[in-house]
Amino acid sequence: MLETFNFRVIIEYLPLFQEGFLYTIWLSLAALLGALIIGILACIMRISQSKLSARIAIIYIESMRSTPLLVQLYFFYFGLPSLGILLSEVVTGILVLSLNSGAYLAEIIRAGVQSIPPGQTEAGIASGMTYYQRMRYIIMPQALGLTVPPMLGQAIILVKDSSLLSLISIMELTRAGQTFTSERFMPAEAFLTTAVFYLIIFYLLKGFSIWSQKKLIYTG
Amino acid sequence: MKTRKLATVFFSLFWIISVTSTVLASTLEDIMQRGVLRVAAQTQGPPFSFVNGKGERTGSAVELARLMAKEMGVKIKFLNYDWDGLIPALLSGKADILAADMTPTLARAMKIAFTTPFMYTGNVAFAKKDSPYRTLADLKAAKNLTVATLLGSAGTKVAAETFPNAKQKVYKGGGPFLIDAVLKGRTDFAVNDSSAVYAQVSNFPPNSIKIIPERIDKSPLAYAVRYDSPALLSWMDLFFLHIKLDGRLDANLDYWVNSLDWKNDHD
Repeated sequence: MLETFNFRVIIEYLPLFQEGFLYTIWLSLAALLGALIIGILACIMRISQSKLSARIAIIYIESMRSTPLLVQLYFFYFGLPSLGILLSEVVTGILVLSLNSGAYLAEIIRAGVQSIPPGQTEAGIASGMTYYQRMRYIIMPQALGLTVPPMLGQAIILVKDSSLLSLISIMELTRAGQTFTSERFMPAEAFLTTAVFYLIIFYLLKGFSIWSQKKLIYTG
Repeated sequence: MKTRKLATVFFSLFWIISVTSTVLASTLEDIMQRGVLRVAAQTQGPPFSFVNGKGERTGSAVELARLMAKEMGVKIKFLNYDWDGLIPALLSGKADILAADMTPTLARAMKIAFTTPFMYTGNVAFAKKDSPYRTLADLKAAKNLTVATLLGSAGTKVAAETFPNAKQKVYKGGGPFLIDAVLKGRTDFAVNDSSAVYAQVSNFPPNSIKIIPERIDKSPLAYAVRYDSPALLSWMDLFFLHIKLDGRLDANLDYWVNSLDWKNDHD
């Protein structure tokens, strides 16, 4: 089997893979930042005392988590233009990934917040702290530290999900593999190389996760 | 330990037998043994291969493949793929033949074996009705245009050579995606095979697309098999010769490709 595996052609396509690799990293970072912002906002809304904002957050989180990412992507890319909203491929991609991952991050952060003993909130109230002050100085610093490992798990999922953006003509890693296959008809070489590049991203994130757990977790 | 060794020997034997037996039997014999001809085809490629209004699979290539199976005396099984998935499906042995409006380019022929062409066509460019570009020369001269093509199609290379100034946007799926991209303003124009474009435009709002009639290139269309299926290839060549002589090929092409007659029956 290995004697028909063509390393020469893989090397020929490395510049294309490099382009896709950098693009995947760029898209994922942008989407991760968006997801983090959306996730924190949605989490705050979800646990707030206002019934209305909690309801809105629940609708957002549940609709995102209960529908496939591919359907969301197709709706934003093919569906929205019919309703008069035309977004570019890259904007659509980052937006959909952020919205999708944001819903999961909101739940992860909520789990972190709720794991902080209620006594601390009560102590904050007793000290005369406002809701914002309690969140900013007591709850969030501890909650975010605790949620770093599951959040990095979600980040890895987001990187893998970004492969779906190849379906809307974005030149990321998976599309590099598809282009390779469609020009040379070597799916084994193309997609194995693609997988190796995803593995590299995975190890980068894993390294960051180990480093951050040592640095960021608040151990009291 | 002993059982592991035994298992290793057993599996290597099994592997050797399976490998040698696939080498010995020809694909044509496999089809006869199985009683089924497995055809890789696309679902979004009218007039060659598509699903009609009643949910039935039909089109020029589909009907020719059915005719082929009938002449072989076997049943037929269609496997659905996006355009860029057709060749990998054939190469991986999931399908016996590839029946599509595929141009036998020299690059593709490095990997798969093509039959003699069953017709000749060419790529055309198309844009929105109100686009200011009326000829190929207009498109070539214009700067900062975007051209959409289909992933894995001959149009990708042809467009790169013909419109070096234009930026390419490569879509995955079928020809209708290109028309949709042009209509929604995601691209200035698109390049695809003319018979596919003329048939597919008829499914979109009338007078929304302008096809530049000038052909960009002239190219043949052919079906394909793997290079390890020489017996099947020569049978298919003979099949095409026969249906060419007895008029069944022309009847198929006149109905599906050279006119829009099929539109009345398959909406």
